[in-house]
Amino acid sequence: MDELLEVLGYKVRSSEMAEVAQKLEQLEMVLSNDDVGSTVLNDTVHYNPSDLSNWVETMLSELNNPESSDLDPTRICEDRSAFPKAEEGADEEASSKRIRLESVGSWGELTRPLVVVDSQETGVRLVHALVACAEAIQQQDLNLADALVKSVGTLAASQAGAMGKVATYFAQGLARRIYAADLSGGSSVGSSFEEALQMHFYESCPYLKFAHFTANQAILEAVTTARRVHVIDLGLNQGMQWPALMQALAVRPGGPPSFRLTGVGPPQTESSDSLQQLGWKLAQFAQAIGVEFEFKGLAAESLSDLEPEMFETRPESETLVVNSVFELHRLLNRSGSVEKLLTTVKTVKPRIVTTVEQEANHNGVVFLDRFNEALHYYSSLFDSLEDSYTLPSQDRVMSEVYLGRQIVNVVAAEGTDRVERHETLAQWKVRMGSVGFDPVPLGSSAFKQASMLLSVFAGGDGYRVEENDGCLMLGWQTRPLIATSAWKLAGA
Amino acid sequence: MAGGNEVNLNECKRIVPLNTWVLISNFKLAYTLLRRPDGSFNRDLAEFLDRKVPANSFPVDGVFSFDHVDTSTSLLTRIYLPAPLYPSRHGSVDLSEPLSTTDIVPVLVFFHGGSFTHSSANSAIYDTFCRRLVTICGVVVVSVDYRRSPEHRYPCAYDDGWNALKWVKSRVWLQSGKDSNVYVYLAGDSSGGNIAHNVAVRATSEGVKVLGNILLHPMFGGLERTQSEKRLDGKYFVTTQDRDWYWRAYLPEGEDRDHPACNPFGPRGQSLEGVNFPKSLVVVAGLDLVQDWQLAYVDGLKRTGHHVNLLYLKQATIGFYFLPNNDHFHCLMDELTKFVHSVDEDSQSKSSPVLLTP
Repeated sequence: MDELLEVLGYKVRSSEMAEVAQKLEQLEMVLSNDDVGSTVLNDTVHYNPSDLSNWVETMLSELNNPESSDLDPTRICEDRSAFPKAEEGADEEASSKRIRLESVGSWGELTRPLVVVDSQETGVRLVHALVACAEAIQQQDLNLADALVKSVGTLAASQAGAMGKVATYFAQGLARRIYAADLSGGSSVGSSFEEALQMHFYESCPYLKFAHFTANQAILEAVTTARRVHVIDLGLNQGMQWPALMQALAVRPGGPPSFRLTGVGPPQTESSDSLQQLGWKLAQFAQAIGVEFEFKGLAAESLSDLEPEMFETRPESETLVVNSVFELHRLLNRSGSVEKLLTTVKTVKPRIVTTVEQEANHNGVVFLDRFNEALHYYSSLFDSLEDSYTLPSQDRVMSEVYLGRQIVNVVAAEGTDRVERHETLAQWKVRMGSVGFDPVPLGSSAFKQASMLLSVFAGGDGYRVEENDGCLMLGWQTRPLIATSAWKLAGA
Repeated sequence: MAGGNEVNLNECKRIVPLNTWVLISNFKLAYTLLRRPDGSFNRDLAEFLDRKVPANSFPVDGVFSFDHVDTSTSLLTRIYLPAPLYPSRHGSVDLSEPLSTTDIVPVLVFFHGGSFTHSSANSAIYDTFCRRLVTICGVVVVSVDYRRSPEHRYPCAYDDGWNALKWVKSRVWLQSGKDSNVYVYLAGDSSGGNIAHNVAVRATSEGVKVLGNILLHPMFGGLERTQSEKRLDGKYFVTTQDRDWYWRAYLPEGEDRDHPACNPFGPRGQSLEGVNFPKSLVVVAGLDLVQDWQLAYVDGLKRTGHHVNLLYLKQATIGFYFLPNNDHFHCLMDELTKFVHSVDEDSQSKSSPVLLTP
């Protein structure tokens, strides 16, 4: 790769440079001779601008062989409605040609994107105290750590806003670690409580909505011609992702495909079978919108317990999708677990795998590094929840509890108890690549619609969508916080 | 004329390194797509295409960076600092201490270019450039975002620039020297250069001290079509047509290019006679079609007795400083370093050395 262009965000092989230059010239020629060209290219979906060669090539073929895209000037419509619709055009043959094997760049260096918000300038002492306490723990000086964690408590109490709240949760985690008390990090609570907390998180801020929305966009693009779709959701929770997808399928030109959902959840208690109940609710919804629907709930203690047969796939008639939102990282608590799951997923030959993960490295071996990373990450996240213009709602308060539990797990838990083992997109790319998956880029239309979705939220200005080498990231200000990516079997 | 075009493209390709040509042509292509004939701008696609990089509080090649966001405007400021001497502080940022209590550390307030419309402080091209400024010129850089056109017209960018200057001046952690001041230079390329000039004018009138201006092929213009515009139109990545589009997008609706924001020393301009304006380093690319306006700007400053250094890079095209693979880049860095570290800051010498490169 040309190194100078690489730091500027463009991946071009030195050996290809002349060829890319030639294509750029060609494209310029075509555009200067053709008034409509620019309009057409505004309407097409763009993918992965970092891959310059492919990007230019795609535009050239769009202009030379206009597909179903009409050159009708009235189609220069402005923003579509915020409601996600099925993407038209872009037939599957063309999209597979657009996708080249992406080599993962050299992400070896440490990265900590640090965003300072006005209030944090005054919270400097608090941050110092927290870090000093973590350093003391790293040095195994528990007496010093104990003294420091108490001072953190005092400082946090007098610090207004997000900084104070985050500090309190981190102090909790530190205290548990110092006193070796309940190193499960408080994770031994019922799953229904966890699900309830996640609902509040879903309501109060856009992260989960973005995750669902972008994953659904990738799914819709992958199943445009499928008559029967089967989605395996590795973490069904309250099933919030699926009504929107079903609605998008329902209004697809040519009629909806049939939709089968296999939802994985934790083992059910005797008195309730929440998976089945959820299935019923979704079935009723499907009936109301005219989509043929089938549901199966799969209870599993751990995702690594899943075997291919359990999914009962029907490869002759169904297009298979596997979806995972914030589930994969939990398997990193046991060696081999995530590889087992990914191998199982590979075996059932999905058309597309959509994953959403936290964009952070909270799985480092050194406690102090983990601590610092998490401190910066959750500071940004809490900042985004903070909305000085509205009174704190129950949703927001419970979201803070939801995130607070993650913090305590990252800081205080160890071994198999520590499940919040977040890793960065760069790390996931390596792992997915080595198991045998190729990336499927998310494009400009998903980007644009995600941006529109965000503008609906209060404080919408602060949320930013970024395209990163085919994946979409949602961040608060300039700090990316979650990343959505899509995958297919290598060579497929 | 197809034949004419071919000659142009080949000439341009010969003059700059191939990867530079690919980079700038890529921008040219993308920008052409984004500008709509009706004056509107495809902002969503622009943000999708723009390559951005995060800040990194771990030093990379001796420089670390962090972001500050103004919560009321959501505007980003990215601060670049040389890696601290003590490794234990890596990854964290101390906002309670000045840069130095003995030495003077120049702080460059940098306004990125993009013709008032494109790019951000976290665009990869600007992040990389600012990092190089820190390493090579021995300065601290504060890169500032401003509201962009066509969504936000004159004077938004200038107001944002002015607010940024005030913010920088009031940061304890940007102070240096025995008398604890923030030693500020204003800098910018293209529209950023234009903003730097205008912020300096305001600073002067409000008594805020700026040590110098650095204008890298600043964006100026006027109603008249100058020789350089006619001669170089369409030859080196830029056309008068696109320049016109950006002025129409930035200037208040119905205004023409003799508006003082575009033409500061033109018929509607404001004289800086008798004003204590900071010294300036103006860098002109010899293949930039806007150069006659930039040279007129230099003249305008000289005529009213202000200290101006002109660095005229005869064979340079716009954007030559994005890649360090050419002499112009190194020449720029040398001049810039001398400019910000010169001892006689208060000299009001009327002679301005004109430097040419082959």
